[in-house]
Amino acid sequence: MLGFLIGEALRDLRRAGRVAVSAIVLITLSLAALGGFWLLSSNLARAVANWRERVRIIVYLKREPAASEAPALVERVQGVPGVASVVYLSKADALKSLKEILGKDASVVAQLPANPLPASLEVTPAAAAATPDGARTLLRNLQTLPEAEEVAGSSDWVERLSQWQRLVTTIGLGIGAVLAVAAILTVTTSTTLILHARRHEMEIMRLVGAPEATIRLPLLLQGMLQGLLGALLALGVLVVAHELVAPRLEPLVNLTLGLSHLQFLPLASLMMLLGAGTLLGALGGWLARGRREP
Amino acid sequence: MIELHRVSKVFSVGPVKVPALSDVSLRIAKGEFVVLTGASGAGKTTLLRLLYRDDVPSEGEVQVLGEDVASLRRSEVAALRRSIGVVFQDAKLLPARTVYENVAFVLRVLGTPKREITPRVFDALRTVGISARAQAYPAQLSQGEAQRASLARAIVRQPSLLLADEPTGNLDDAMEAEIIGVIKDIRAGGTTVILATHQSRLVRALRRRTITLEGGYLLKDEG
Repeated sequence: MLGFLIGEALRDLRRAGRVAVSAIVLITLSLAALGGFWLLSSNLARAVANWRERVRIIVYLKREPAASEAPALVERVQGVPGVASVVYLSKADALKSLKEILGKDASVVAQLPANPLPASLEVTPAAAAATPDGARTLLRNLQTLPEAEEVAGSSDWVERLSQWQRLVTTIGLGIGAVLAVAAILTVTTSTTLILHARRHEMEIMRLVGAPEATIRLPLLLQGMLQGLLGALLALGVLVVAHELVAPRLEPLVNLTLGLSHLQFLPLASLMMLLGAGTLLGALGGWLARGRREP
Repeated sequence: MIELHRVSKVFSVGPVKVPALSDVSLRIAKGEFVVLTGASGAGKTTLLRLLYRDDVPSEGEVQVLGEDVASLRRSEVAALRRSIGVVFQDAKLLPARTVYENVAFVLRVLGTPKREITPRVFDALRTVGISARAQAYPAQLSQGEAQRASLARAIVRQPSLLLADEPTGNLDDAMEAEIIGVIKDIRAGGTTVILATHQSRLVRALRRRTITLEGGYLLKDEG
């Protein structure tokens, strides 16, 4: 029976002809748009996650504590809510760090009459404090330390990046949704044409007492086939686009977002796109069947 | 087998009520061959449609194979129709399928196991004498052959009731005789047959129980 139902669905698909092709193209466009924005958004999300991990708050100290005092200070700061870890940098450490950054120009440092760099504490916020509000609260708490001269650092720009990521996701969903509605309506139209072409067969099927499911299922199946074909084509478009565009964009992405490469969508996302396509087609087929009750 | 009790059917055409059947009562036993006759518009087709539950009566009760057809749910209607074969004046064959496929289609939609389909289709085609034309498409058939194919499709499920609505209406005398011969053979196998025709010559030739309708009323039930 399943073979019969699938055979009938394929026959219906051929009958729908160009309208079915239009529906498949629209599903391809909607899912390719959705998948493209999803790909962009997931890479932005990776960048946001990377940068969140790299958020640091620097507490510049009024004076360099004695070597024996430093561990106690570190331990006290470690106890401030929202702090994940603390690293103490002496004036000498800071100077060494500066020399490393300057590289071949490090000799400039030797001309300084004294080390002008302050000792500092490099504070890594806990995950909960890596948000803008959390970081602001942590900054306020650290500023109350009597040893603190100045506290610098925030996660605002990471949040701005995160907002861009959410915007990209929303735009993708919006464009995908508009195209998806168009795709559903086109599948509905092609299924309505099939209903017209099939009316004699359906009449015979009812006349001989075929179960209603046997009469209706091929319509639903051909809609699902249209959706599945559209989704497979969309995946093909995404793979080709990624292969062509990613190598050209990666230097820019590395420079701006700090990502070594543009990652393609994971298998679970691809499966979701296939499922979404099939569902769009099924919905189109179902809407047509709902409009034409015997 | 079949019982109609004071059955009326009225169609509404806008505000106008058009009676198609009025106060018809009759009983048909299992295995009978009944001819239903009357002029065009007498109510023959309406009566047949009530029997295979293509429509429901406006008044009265229609019992077919022990079921009150008006009260059946959709799935029960399908079950009832599996016991009824119907043929029409136009054979209603599917043009894109061969004779074999047209007959097999019925078995396939009813979920018949694949290995049973071919033997059963050829049994039916042999019964109506058209097995040699199994691979022909409807457009390649004569009207008599098309009607035979339609009969094969109706009997392939071995129904207990065959309803034939003007099955020879489009045929010449020789073809008509062939089709009537096939229907008699089917009835000889134990199937109850109700044949609707407006052709009085055919009614006389058949010499069977004849129910005559006129203007929706049962005029005569004789033979």
